[in-house]
Amino acid sequence: MPRKAKEEKNDIEVKQASKVAPKATKTTTKKASTKTITAKKAATKSTKNSTIIKKVVDSIAPKKKKTPAKKTATKATKKAVKTLTKESIKSTEKEETVKKPATISGEKFSIAEYYDLPYRYNQTIVKLLYQTPTTLFIYWDISDEDREKFKETYGEDFFEKTKPVLVVHNETKGYSFEVEINDFANCWYLNVNDSKCKYKIELGRKPFEVMYNGEVTEVKTTPKITQNYIPITSSNEVESPNDHILFEKTQEMVYFKNVKDNTVTAKNIASLNFVKSIGKVYKVNDFYKKFYKDEDLDSFDKIQNPSSNSLSSSRFK
Amino acid sequence: MSKNVKGYVSFVLHAHLPFIHHPESDDYLEEQWLFEAISETYIPLLRNFKKLVDEKVEFRITMSMTPPLLWMLDNKLLQKKYIHYLKEHIELCEKEVKRTAYDSRLNELSKYYLNRYSNDLYLFEEVFNCNLIQAFKHFQDIGVLEIITCGATHGFFPILYVNEKTVRAQIAVGVQTYKKYFGRQPRGIWLPECGYVPEADKYLKEFGIEYAIVESHGILYADPTPIYGTYAPIVSPGGLIAFGRDMESSRQVWSSINGYPGDYNYREFYRDIGYEADYDYIKPYIAHDGVRVNTGIKYYRITGKTDQKDYYNLQWAQDSIYKQTGHFFDSRVKQINDIAPYMDHPPIILCPYDAELYGHWWYEGPDWLYILFKKIYYDDCNFKLITPGEYIDKYPNIQVASPCRSSWGANGYNYVWLNPLNDYVHRHLHKAGDRMVELAHLFPNEQDELKRFALNQCARELLLAQSSDWLFIITNQTMVDYAKKRIKDHIGRFTKLYYQIKNDKIDKEYLEEIYKKDKIFDEIDYMIYY
Repeated sequence: MPRKAKEEKNDIEVKQASKVAPKATKTTTKKASTKTITAKKAATKSTKNSTIIKKVVDSIAPKKKKTPAKKTATKATKKAVKTLTKESIKSTEKEETVKKPATISGEKFSIAEYYDLPYRYNQTIVKLLYQTPTTLFIYWDISDEDREKFKETYGEDFFEKTKPVLVVHNETKGYSFEVEINDFANCWYLNVNDSKCKYKIELGRKPFEVMYNGEVTEVKTTPKITQNYIPITSSNEVESPNDHILFEKTQEMVYFKNVKDNTVTAKNIASLNFVKSIGKVYKVNDFYKKFYKDEDLDSFDKIQNPSSNSLSSSRFK
Repeated sequence: MSKNVKGYVSFVLHAHLPFIHHPESDDYLEEQWLFEAISETYIPLLRNFKKLVDEKVEFRITMSMTPPLLWMLDNKLLQKKYIHYLKEHIELCEKEVKRTAYDSRLNELSKYYLNRYSNDLYLFEEVFNCNLIQAFKHFQDIGVLEIITCGATHGFFPILYVNEKTVRAQIAVGVQTYKKYFGRQPRGIWLPECGYVPEADKYLKEFGIEYAIVESHGILYADPTPIYGTYAPIVSPGGLIAFGRDMESSRQVWSSINGYPGDYNYREFYRDIGYEADYDYIKPYIAHDGVRVNTGIKYYRITGKTDQKDYYNLQWAQDSIYKQTGHFFDSRVKQINDIAPYMDHPPIILCPYDAELYGHWWYEGPDWLYILFKKIYYDDCNFKLITPGEYIDKYPNIQVASPCRSSWGANGYNYVWLNPLNDYVHRHLHKAGDRMVELAHLFPNEQDELKRFALNQCARELLLAQSSDWLFIITNQTMVDYAKKRIKDHIGRFTKLYYQIKNDKIDKEYLEEIYKKDKIFDEIDYMIYY
């Protein structure tokens, strides 16, 4: 399924807010300035102005309202809140100014940080990963420099007159097939038939063909494009995982290694003592039938794996 | 106790939390993950290990402790914040004892929590001297606990390995950190998310790792098919020994329908006074910005499939523990009796879990282990507890087979860490990995102190960005904003430093400030990327 590239700026790699002017919060009272709008809040939560105002007010509001001494402090700070919010609403989205508070660490931080991931790295690349034994994930990009080179070779309208394709090579079984993609995408999930195979992907372009009733009636191209396919670049090689017990590959000989002295011994399954326990049969699937009477060995998604379970450390909250 | 041993059971608990360290603010709720894990999992486990040792019960357990967790447990600031957390809890519990005076059952529970948090404070400060790592190390040194290592920041190998040097660095730093804290070489590794790729074998061997824990199908789908299934380890052609998770015992604990943690007498996780108490009353003990969060004080038991929850009863919970450990024990006896005749060696039944399941999610988990271990020691049965390392020493003759590429995530492969919600991240992780290798080659063995500092900080930022936790959180839609911010911050800091180093314009003040935030892995040497 294609995923449309997001409309984002692609020219700046890292944005960093300017250093915070130490006097940015001069207008706030002492009490107010001991609380902070942290970079976290501004960057991780909604940046709508109203929310920010609320947060500023919340963060300034005293913890224990009932103490009379603090009540006056609240009043005193309310004026300050107005000034603070007005100033900081503008700044929170980019700068997260506001003087730093006294924290348990007691450390002072004066540089405000704000980063965004770049949309692209302007690099000609195709990278291949496996998601499951039969789903591959591919992401790609063509650098501006290479784009210009293709235009020089094949004409200014090279990218308009051609469409992108991914050529999937199954290197284990020795076949290839082609998947048409589009220029709005920068990554793709691809289903393949064969697990436990080595795959490699090539990104290329093909001239647009105009079809009528299944027949090619016209090839839209410029005179400079003479080939039916123009390769751009190739991916890394990936082996997709295995997805079943390899009973079909069962051998009569198995090898054991003594990990202490590194000696390897070959054993004939039929000659092993334990075969007697199950009579004359000596195929691995016969053992497995004894071992795993109640298990479905073909489907692991039925067993709620710990890490996908809600009871995981990664989802600690 | 002398036994007719026909098999072994091996518990492996994976203790991990992502690196969360915010000296710049006290408002990050995520820091509480560590404090909750200390109070609910790590201290209860240590307490029970001590009880078993004191009672002269012979037992064996294996734990992985990841480098970020070790660093956080060792960090003075976080220790100070934990003590602060405990004192706030004790204050709240004291109020609770007064508030619940109208009901004897509730009052008894609030006193229990007061005792428990007060005891944690005493243990943490006076007994453990704020140093839980030393406490775990002690149990390793006396031979009842085998601690194994993990990738440096829990980077998921099946996605990182397109640049193998980044996997090598995860392993190298994981082993280096382990040696620093435990003073010896780790024998085993918990592959982050049990993510196995054969490409990592050579690096695991390079850094002296003998064995790894993999998912069941990592063994069952191996090539050629292992003749003993998951009941014996296999050794890869690259020399890594792999132990696979036993499905039957896993299901008994993990099943969402009839797994042990779902017992009706156990404590209900989702009913916490942080969400239920009067707002003005609870406000000082929840998030600083007023958002309600868990406090850890929970008064109800699971009760059943109903919203009308009954109060938690400590004795009833104990009764369920006894009942369930009996069931687990009998199931293993039967399983081993069934399997042993078909094997040449005694089988090993490997039971790996997230450590934080025991105590944090499944409140009674640490006591469940304690009672089970006593039962295994005292009762007549056909098995003993063992660690994977000891099993290798006893039975070094291991079938050669290549484990299957696998993980313990949903469906068993990469889906959890690579799907339309989080796939945008990978190009940035790969690019930063490539750039780190580039930097190591541009500036090998840099002598300039500042530049070396910047290069090492680049390595720290890259490792922190690679943590599988961020991808997992995005998939699970929990603390998504925080996870996304962490990826942006680390990639952002890395990239900024990358350009500063290349342009020879290192901003010392900036570098020192981000180091204060991300100062994990003091001894890191960026040349691991060379």
